[in-house]
Amino acid sequence: MLTIVLRVLVMYFLVLFLYRIMGKRQLGEMQPFELVLTLIIADLVTIPMAEISVPIMHGIIPLFTLVLTHFLLTFLSSKSNKFSTFLSGKPVIVINPDGIDYKALKNLNMSVDDVFEAIRGCGYFSIEQIQYAIMETNGKMSVLPKSQFAPLTAGDLNKKIDESFLPINIINEGKILEQNLKLAKLEREDVERLLKREEIKSVKKVLLLTIDKNGKVYLQQMGEKYKTTQLDKKEEKQ
Amino acid sequence: MTNLTKFKIIGSIFLFLFIVLTCVVEDRLVVSSLGQVKDYCYEIEVVAKKNGGIVNGEVASLVENLDYDWGKDEKKLCLLVNHKSIEQLKVEIIRLKTYIDEAEETEFFTSLEIIKSYTETFQHFMGAGFHNIL
Repeated sequence: MLTIVLRVLVMYFLVLFLYRIMGKRQLGEMQPFELVLTLIIADLVTIPMAEISVPIMHGIIPLFTLVLTHFLLTFLSSKSNKFSTFLSGKPVIVINPDGIDYKALKNLNMSVDDVFEAIRGCGYFSIEQIQYAIMETNGKMSVLPKSQFAPLTAGDLNKKIDESFLPINIINEGKILEQNLKLAKLEREDVERLLKREEIKSVKKVLLLTIDKNGKVYLQQMGEKYKTTQLDKKEEKQ
Repeated sequence: MTNLTKFKIIGSIFLFLFIVLTCVVEDRLVVSSLGQVKDYCYEIEVVAKKNGGIVNGEVASLVENLDYDWGKDEKKLCLLVNHKSIEQLKVEIIRLKTYIDEAEETEFFTSLEIIKSYTETFQHFMGAGFHNIL
């Protein structure tokens, strides 16, 4: 049994490591060749894990070979568009201004019901609302609505709105994130001063504290409702 | 070039070298250890025929050496080859010892032939030939 436990641990960490260096795509975002790789790896590692008579190298070597092949295919598809198209296919327009392209649907082995399901997933319930629908190579549908059904944006109203900036997490579950503190060009004392102003005795009581580029603070204490505030000028060094 | 790209390039080289090295080591190990077993078999056959039987010290000593050397190689081979594929060889070597003790000459030579045939089959089975790939 100990052998099995050790084998499982070795294979688990090996697969984990290989997946980390291969990238972080989720199952639904995978290209066909990546999905095939995932299925093969899953099947491959279970054999030496449970079968003691099979050397662990019978799992490791095919695994390494697959990862190496994956690197090679990824490299080649990044260098050549033709190869990339051969490997992953290319996006296909299934709905155009004339309606559903039945020929394209048949080439994709899709039915009209599948198209309806996909466009509903994009938030559209009538085919009339859609100008173009594109089936992407990872199997997801992208939809461009007709102008009258597109969501209204500030640009449509000729309104100028300040650019939004990504807020930086400063305190996360009671811990100050030193790296993010440097990123926000703040000192520990600035945060402590802010907490004192908000009458919070300890950093440990803060669930989340974020600061954006404009000095806007989002602060939530453990078990309490969040509040927003502004960094004082002397606190703010951005 | 980002750190991740460098890491991937170095990682790919490492993986490639590891695969090549393992294939070479496996091939060398299989050829040498199975070749040695086959040599022992032929030698035992010659010595047994020369001495007019299997019940003599020379044959017994050769079988002992075969058992000892195979035991050492088997441990190494187990890292690379399915254990079930090579366990039969050990069984036949142990049988050889028993047949010497009981002076069963016919069974002894049958076992010897099985070992020889097994080593040949296994060498053929392990090679990277077209027949094995398909």
